Amino acid sequence: MTWLSRLIPGAHPPVQLAPEIRARLDAWRKLPETALTAQHTETRYVIVNTEASGLDLSKDRLLSVAAIAIEGGLIDPKLAFYQSLEPDPADALTGLLEFIGSSPIVVFNAGFNKRVILNAIERVLDVEPELHCIDLYWLLPALFAERGQSASKLTEWMNALRIETFQRHHALGDGYAIAQLFLATQARGRLLGHSTPQALIELEHARQRLKRPL
Amino acid sequence: MTTATETLVGASADFLKRFSPFDQMEPEALDYLSERVLLGFFSKGATILSAEMGQPRHFYIIQRGKVQASQSGDVALTEYASMTLGPGECFPIGAISAGRPSTNTYMALEDSFCFQLPADDFMALMRISPVFHVFCTQYIASLLSQSRQQLQSTFSQRAAEQQTMTTPLGHLIKRDPIFVTPDTSTRSALEKMNEMRIGCMVVADADARPVGILTQSDLLSRIVLPAFDLNRPISDVMTPAPQVLQMTATAYDAALEMATHARRHLLVVDSDDKLRGVVSERDLFSLQRIGLRQIRASIEGADDIESLQHASRDIRQLALNLIAQGIGSEQLTRFISALNDALTRRIITLELGRHELFGVQFCWLAFGSEGRHEQTLSTDQDNGIIFSAPEGERDAIKQKLLAFAKDANDALAACGFPLCKGNIMASNPELCLTLEEWKRRFGAWIREPDPQALLNASIFFDFRVLFGSEKIGDQLRRWLLETARGNSTFLRMMAQNALAVAPPLGRFRDFVVEDDGMIDLKKSGARLFVDVARILSLRSGVEASSTVGRLRQSGQRANMAEEELDAITDGFHFIQLLRLRSQHLDTEHDAPGDNKIDPDTLNELDRRILKEAFRQARKLQLRLKLDYQL
Repeated sequence: MTWLSRLIPGAHPPVQLAPEIRARLDAWRKLPETALTAQHTETRYVIVNTEASGLDLSKDRLLSVAAIAIEGGLIDPKLAFYQSLEPDPADALTGLLEFIGSSPIVVFNAGFNKRVILNAIERVLDVEPELHCIDLYWLLPALFAERGQSASKLTEWMNALRIETFQRHHALGDGYAIAQLFLATQARGRLLGHSTPQALIELEHARQRLKRPL
Repeated sequence: MTTATETLVGASADFLKRFSPFDQMEPEALDYLSERVLLGFFSKGATILSAEMGQPRHFYIIQRGKVQASQSGDVALTEYASMTLGPGECFPIGAISAGRPSTNTYMALEDSFCFQLPADDFMALMRISPVFHVFCTQYIASLLSQSRQQLQSTFSQRAAEQQTMTTPLGHLIKRDPIFVTPDTSTRSALEKMNEMRIGCMVVADADARPVGILTQSDLLSRIVLPAFDLNRPISDVMTPAPQVLQMTATAYDAALEMATHARRHLLVVDSDDKLRGVVSERDLFSLQRIGLRQIRASIEGADDIESLQHASRDIRQLALNLIAQGIGSEQLTRFISALNDALTRRIITLELGRHELFGVQFCWLAFGSEGRHEQTLSTDQDNGIIFSAPEGERDAIKQKLLAFAKDANDALAACGFPLCKGNIMASNPELCLTLEEWKRRFGAWIREPDPQALLNASIFFDFRVLFGSEKIGDQLRRWLLETARGNSTFLRMMAQNALAVAPPLGRFRDFVVEDDGMIDLKKSGARLFVDVARILSLRSGVEASSTVGRLRQSGQRANMAEEELDAITDGFHFIQLLRLRSQHLDTEHDAPGDNKIDPDTLNELDRRILKEAFRQARKLQLRLKLDYQL
């Protein structure tokens, strides 16, 4: 058993999916690509956040997933998703993929979040989604240099931009904070000339290369 | 609704509940709002909303940060140049409820998050939440008072160096009150008057509560000529129960009292009814170029038409000054009404001196707007006579009255009240009638309400006794209320008639204008309120003849909410104010342009308020429509 199987309780290869889940995944695969060159206001972004039993990829399990869509630069409470993995991990993760569609996803600390989700999806659904991912962990210091030189944790960025949420350390609660951080990111990005998803992704990559030890 | 949505909606509701008016809002309305608000972000310095963006698509509630509202354009429409809004505050209430571009520019002073409610949902929220509706209505009402202030500044150049008539009386008192007790001998009271060089002596009890007054002008008739014994107490010669006003009453309250009751001095008391000082007409003179009392005195002292003509011009000038001082239409029309009444009474008195009518019992009636105390400056005369005469002498007396009325009508015309084109004047034999004849006439209109009868009712039922026996007038009023109240067909026809003209609100444009691009503020503005008020008063037996008095009293009897009544009367007053304003600017009587206004020449704020005023008229009409199932 690999470390992955510990993340998903009760999931064992080879993957056996219910026909209904298969049909939903097929429909999801057929969704058209999102152009990454449209303006922020024309782009649907999806904030994705997770809740795990801990922060150690080798030991801890994914508990729940949350997503909040941002359309036209606004958070609309009707466009939100939250589901626990139990009792039906396949349904939860398929639901998440459906909610994401082909939109670029926005996460905080992709190192953990993105890997946890992708791993789970691959394990449970046998799918390797190619998602365009924007990681605020790297992007925020690039855009708000003056505010958060020392900031790295979500709490620190929330304080720096004076953002609040209704519940910390909850997939949706933290997701709401990340969504607000991303609204600020969009506005700031537009001011500095990074007005498309593509531009944000490039800025983030440049930042990562910069920070990578030589 | 998914759990995720419920959670986010709950978070928005928890936030909103921390602020007024959302904390007072009905639970289902708060749910409605929380489900529909979208959260957006504005960087420091970003323009959130401006006039150039056109009709606002969202209503904004600040979640975090600071937003500055500042005036766009050259003309300041509100009392502030700019204003900072913080969390829980919202904008733009006026523009979004009127569906017009905002007159303010809203800019984020720091990075700010705002909840945004789509415009359609805003309108729906106004409908489903009475609390939110009141909040927005009160906000509009505060715009109204700002508009009044703006009006004041428009006229300030024409009436420079005027102090405001809204000064509280407490500020006008120049020295500590001087008074004597009732048992003081008249001699020592007079000595004190002389010593202190005061024009009147107040008599007050041991607790300094005024019980009487003696003025210089009383001396001749009460003391000198009757050789009054100066050792007797002053209480024997004073005028008891003097006119008092509270410290918080304003200069124009005092001026109105003086004009109405022909007084030269008013006693000012505190909340404990203790004497705090005396305000004289001279104190008020310093506040205005032409004194009310001065006009009043010149009217009462006038022996010929020429002096009355002069007084009439002074009344118009005074009205102009008062508008400049920011007096609202309600007070202003009361002033005009009080002075015009005095003028009319003086004319009647002068004419009576030239006609032999000794012993004839009659009263002079004012109809229409004059009867309602709502005269503007271009009102023509509407008057009539009720008289009583022993059997057999009726015709002879009527002839005498008609001759007298003819002269009175002409004199009134010479003093600036144009003759009535429809011949609604006391000199018309049809309108110089005995009480029984008036009852028959009114009764016929009520029994057979054809269009002409309804039109007549709308003029004549607003009668008021201006001169002569109030008793005859009261008898006619009581009879009318009883008769009309019992005739629901008549009231229903009146209602139908009142609803024939709708407020000129457009579906696509703001206002529906006439062919000449104008709105008639009388026909499709003030009259909408006046007509409904008349029906409500007839139906509920309210004796008041003014529109506001009728609306208030009958509204209270029908348990209408105070705020609702305030909003309606504010709307009526605003339309009256616009009428007075347009009449002032071209002071010719009865000019064809009178009462007409080109909405395009109004500033943004006035347009908004006018629209709201018309909405109030529509609300009032709707109420009538429901009551009579029309």
